[in-house]
Amino acid sequence: MYLPSVAANTLPIDRAVTEVAERLAPDVQYIRYEIGWDWSGDPAIFFRVVLSDEASQKRLRKVATQVVWHLARLLDFPSMGLFPYHNFRSVSEQAVLREEAWA
Amino acid sequence: MAFPDDLLKDAHHLAARGEKDLRQSSLRRAVSTAYYALFHLLIADFVLNWKRPDQRVRLGRMFDHSKMKQAKFQSANPTPVEEDLKTVIDAFAQLQEDRYTADYDVGTNWSPKGVENTLAIADEAFKAWRIVRKEKIAQDHLLTMFGARRM
Repeated sequence: MYLPSVAANTLPIDRAVTEVAERLAPDVQYIRYEIGWDWSGDPAIFFRVVLSDEASQKRLRKVATQVVWHLARLLDFPSMGLFPYHNFRSVSEQAVLREEAWA
Repeated sequence: MAFPDDLLKDAHHLAARGEKDLRQSSLRRAVSTAYYALFHLLIADFVLNWKRPDQRVRLGRMFDHSKMKQAKFQSANPTPVEEDLKTVIDAFAQLQEDRYTADYDVGTNWSPKGVENTLAIADEAFKAWRIVRKEKIAQDHLLTMFGARRM
């Protein structure tokens, strides 16, 4: 299984992620991502988004939708050959779970 | 209440229990159940087009999860109906991947907020599907999910 060429140059993705995190701060604390394969073997990009506790309590879905929308606006996933997936958690949850992939 | 609605309701019960007790098993089952709720919602509408009710269950079992996700739809300037359909398509892909992680990746922990977001995606997909389900474009998409090529 081969990954699309975008995996070799992730600068545009890094820029988009930084822009979205800055635009939606402080609700969005930071965004991590990983390029790999989804369960069916399709090339995919997995975004892990850590939200402030306030945002995750009071406007989780609104902020999550904004993150997804802005990332799709800045990154043409179909052209990149990647399926985008997005997952969210709060700062407090990550402090308890302490998962490296989300750090 | 129809089976898909029962499943979605069960998903919410499991999520609430998982959040209260901080139980990974309940959180994972909530995510998995939310996916199957949408899966069965779409299949139920597809098989309704089959004339013989006694054959609908067998027809429904022919759906392939991977093919269903592969069914894509793109529009440069989507109409409201197309927007709703895209909501369903995007939700289906996200929920399917989440379901796989929840069921098989024991190295990944689910957080209550992550599960809450997943269930909200399922809720939105149910709502959007019920708006568009009788539209030709939605019925065509079901056929694509079944495996037929787009014309």
